[in-house]
Amino acid sequence: MTKDPLYMDLAHCNEAPGKEFLFGTDTMGRDIFSMIRYGGRISLTIGFLATLLSTILAVLAGSVSGCAPARIDGVLMGLTELFLSVPGLLLTVFLQAVFGGSDAYSLSVVIGLTGWMSMAKVVRAEVLQLKHTDYVLAAKCLGGGFFHVLFRHLAPNFFPSVLFMAVMNVRNAIVAESTLSFMGLGLPMEEVSWGSMLSLSESALLSHSWWIILIPGAFLVATLLCLTNLGNYMRGRANKRHSNLGCQGSLNIKKK
Amino acid sequence: MDLLEVENLSVSFYRPEGEIEALKKVSFSLREGEILAVMGETGCGKSVLCKSILKLLPDIAKIKTGHIIVRGEEITDYTERQMRELRGSFFSMVFQNPMTALNPCMSVGEQIAEAVRLRQPGLSGKERQQRVAELMHLVGLDHPGERARQYPYQLSGGMAQRCVIAIALAAQPSVLFADEATTALDVTVQAQILDLFLELREKTGMSIVLVTHNPGVAARAADRVALMKNGELTGIGDVEEIFEEIIHRQNFI
Amino acid sequence: MRKLYIGRILYNIGKFALRVIVLSVLVFTISRLAPGDPLYAYYGERVEKMSVAQQEQARERLGLRKPLFTQYARWLQGAFHGDFGISYQYKTDVKEVIAARIGNTLILGGLGFLLIFVLALLLGLFCAWREDRAADRIICRIGTVTSCVPEFWLALLLLLVFAVWLDWLPGSGAYSIGKEGDVADRAVHLVLPLTVVVLGHLWYYAFQVRNRLLEEVRADYVLLARMKGLSGKQVLYRHCLRGALPSYLSMMAVALPHILGGTYVVETVFSYPGIGTLAYESARYQDYNLLMVVSLLTGTMVIFCNMLAGIISGRIDPRMRIHSLTGGGEVRGC
Repeated sequence: MTKDPLYMDLAHCNEAPGKEFLFGTDTMGRDIFSMIRYGGRISLTIGFLATLLSTILAVLAGSVSGCAPARIDGVLMGLTELFLSVPGLLLTVFLQAVFGGSDAYSLSVVIGLTGWMSMAKVVRAEVLQLKHTDYVLAAKCLGGGFFHVLFRHLAPNFFPSVLFMAVMNVRNAIVAESTLSFMGLGLPMEEVSWGSMLSLSESALLSHSWWIILIPGAFLVATLLCLTNLGNYMRGRANKRHSNLGCQGSLNIKKK
Repeated sequence: MDLLEVENLSVSFYRPEGEIEALKKVSFSLREGEILAVMGETGCGKSVLCKSILKLLPDIAKIKTGHIIVRGEEITDYTERQMRELRGSFFSMVFQNPMTALNPCMSVGEQIAEAVRLRQPGLSGKERQQRVAELMHLVGLDHPGERARQYPYQLSGGMAQRCVIAIALAAQPSVLFADEATTALDVTVQAQILDLFLELREKTGMSIVLVTHNPGVAARAADRVALMKNGELTGIGDVEEIFEEIIHRQNFI
Repeated sequence: MRKLYIGRILYNIGKFALRVIVLSVLVFTISRLAPGDPLYAYYGERVEKMSVAQQEQARERLGLRKPLFTQYARWLQGAFHGDFGISYQYKTDVKEVIAARIGNTLILGGLGFLLIFVLALLLGLFCAWREDRAADRIICRIGTVTSCVPEFWLALLLLLVFAVWLDWLPGSGAYSIGKEGDVADRAVHLVLPLTVVVLGHLWYYAFQVRNRLLEEVRADYVLLARMKGLSGKQVLYRHCLRGALPSYLSMMAVALPHILGGTYVVETVFSYPGIGTLAYESARYQDYNLLMVVSLLTGTMVIFCNMLAGIISGRIDPRMRIHSLTGGGEVRGC
């Protein structure tokens, strides 16, 4: 069933899905089924590593900025905005050049370093909002120190939304990896990931080999969908109140 | 014939966790031009009673049994469209917190004018403005011209509540529900608003259902008092009667 | 009051200028620190034919030996006179290269933005109105799925189906050869890229509108409005929408550069000659003069739109406006 994902079987190039090659072969004669199996690891690894980095950066930048006095907060947020305004493509290319080579780890670092800004803004907003709540004031009045308040009162409250954003970041990192690899800016073709598999699609389009495009993409989309649902589940139902709109006669006698 | 009759009204909320009975077989009637205070603790179903008569409850609430009769006509089965006509003309309501009851993004003049337009669609723009000024004067808001341009955030609680009352009066209602209308206000303002209700009753002859948990409010303004507990109506009668009974009961305990 | 107003405007302009300058320093530094010999940016392949001495001489002449700051000053001086250098890859003035392409991107991104702006609002309104009923649930499901499809793959999918299998629509370019002025021909070429741009962003914004409206719908003022005799739909349009609009406008201001500048993936897949493909090529082939200007263009737009968003949410929303400006707005004498 599974074969060496890197073996190029030149006798079986561009073969449609069949008994031997479950998902067919790509333009270079590699077995797509095994490539998906092995490539998924790289895609997911990059997703998680990049998220780890960007989440740490975002929580640090966001909470420091939220807790710091207004002037430092202004400077930090200005820097974040500045990073946001540098086009992502430029930043990616530059960072790749700095970290050299394009293997899974350096690509994770690059994606992690370019993906923390908007999350930091959300964390800061959350911290600012929480900082002024009465229960934090109450905890301070009871003599709670900075770290006590942070870990006992602030962290549990912004943890769900950070978790949600982290899961969404995994999703974004996987999208970024596949997009960059597809465009030829990420992993090279020899390094099998779902993104780099799709970088062959141009030639696949010419030869009408739909399986090269559709099958890895379907796996990618399914993974992303799972992550999204996971994130939404973690965030939970935020609003339990009921609508006041009552668009259809809301209050009718329950017919028996 | 009474203005409003409620017979055996039971309302339940259907939540995923199960059914919650908010009202249990509540019956009462409201006479023309009277002020009826509905008294009870927080959460005993006072608000639900008002909102279920007006059909303003969320979708998960259903009337299980009972009849709501307005001037001899049963409205229990009214559709949303029919209810809308009743709400804009026969019924009106004042809410607990005037700050959240007014749309923060609209000037109060606009909000009052909207209510006027819905009730009297034929009025010209100028006539409508006149009517708005009239209403504002009626509820004791001075400088109607300037005041109308203000946003709710610029008003004090008492002023905002007067605006809400002006909106309610725009409908020229026969029955006004005041759902804890004085609770969120300062004590002196509370007294002013209560006096306003009494004055408005004199001027327009409407009936008022005054929902409150404050016996002082009930004693000061109401003709009759209805007592509620755990979704049930435990007693209804003239003010003196009911208060004597309460005192008696407390002594008994 | 008027003085305060002018001061505010000047302050904002100053802040904008400062940010753009810092951005240009950053972009300049990044592009100079990145690998690739900047000499190529001036001479292209001719560098390889030069002797080492000639190369050194050229470096000296171009000031590449000077500290980064001096180089930046020189670049800035040129930029003020409208000289952004030569594109190494296209062998012409950077300005000309960009001028030839920017229209295409503005059409694609601009139309995409307009469509997203309108559709997201409508879709959000509809879903909020039908909250938790079948239609809303179905739309939310479909929306979640579309938000999970990477843009480039959606583009590939549409190419495969509509250009390769069905052969209904052209799959590449902005117009057929020799039909540059033909509007209908351009429109046909726009269908697929535009679909990808719109579908790629639509649900994110529609969902935000929906959630924002659902918050509004739970406010007390909805009950008062219904008490006046308004129907649920009317309350949604006349009252709730008003509350949600300021935040929607500022969100869309932030979205504008994101959508306009984010077309590079779509442009690449459809070989659509726009700024996006240009940015991609210049980054890939280290055409730094070009990259610098393209980056500055998009970056400036991001800064501008972010500031615009802040101003919008501060000015349009009466709640914010009262907090920021007056404080003493009460009528006295009552």
